[in-house]
Amino acid sequence: MYLALYVVPPDYQQGDSARILYIHVPAAWQAMFIYVVMTILAAIALVWRIRLTEILAMSCAPIGAALTLVCLATGSLWGKPMWGTWWEWDARLTSMLVLLFIYIGIMGLYAAFDDRRKGARIASVLVLAGAVNIPIIHFSVEWWNTLHQPATIKLTGESSMDPSMLPPLIWMVISTKLFFGAALLDRARNELLDQDRSKSWVARKVLQADQ
Amino acid sequence: MIPELSHASYVWTSYSIFGAIVAWQFLQPLLRRKRLVNSMIEAEAERRAAGRNRA
Repeated sequence: MYLALYVVPPDYQQGDSARILYIHVPAAWQAMFIYVVMTILAAIALVWRIRLTEILAMSCAPIGAALTLVCLATGSLWGKPMWGTWWEWDARLTSMLVLLFIYIGIMGLYAAFDDRRKGARIASVLVLAGAVNIPIIHFSVEWWNTLHQPATIKLTGESSMDPSMLPPLIWMVISTKLFFGAALLDRARNELLDQDRSKSWVARKVLQADQ
Repeated sequence: MIPELSHASYVWTSYSIFGAIVAWQFLQPLLRRKRLVNSMIEAEAERRAAGRNRA
């Protein structure tokens, strides 16, 4: 964030508002990455019924929702000075909003069941159904004529971004990955503790920590 | 030192939202764990008290 705010020069057209992209783009990428991870975990949970994958998949949803919200809010804050509008019902923006609703739906469905394992399995079906939205988000700027610009950074082909702007973006992408890992383990630990609260190993651990 | 930026209000609001949401993602599980552990300690204390009363 230091590089993004202090070191990188302002964009020649957008001025300092371009600094918003250093959180907007990593948040968007990470929100989609989390959904892919959640889909894989949900598929494993449905096929092999491994409890840990159910817990991990369900723990992904609030983190993904938070980053989707960051992406939408920062995109809106960038859009106002650059496009002259807070919101536009364009394909990229709308599909990202749908992603947020899917995340919220998964969280709601999971929380609606007293039996957490049953809730996780039913929410996993929604996760798999919602996965269709990920390629729609990715290709929306190519399939439809949108206000949102096409990809500026490409894994294959030449990126249209100045190399001086890349280091803070790369650092922020790495940081959001690490944040996701830490937050996921933190949430999964709580969920496991909650589900196993009546088991002796949890009581032993908790009482040991209390003494 | 706070840099002087064009569109400063948009930039700082964006970074503030990001900071607040990331901080909440760490704070919320911490609070939940605290509540969980406290409720488990209380349940264990009640269980022990009930055991003593029976004896």
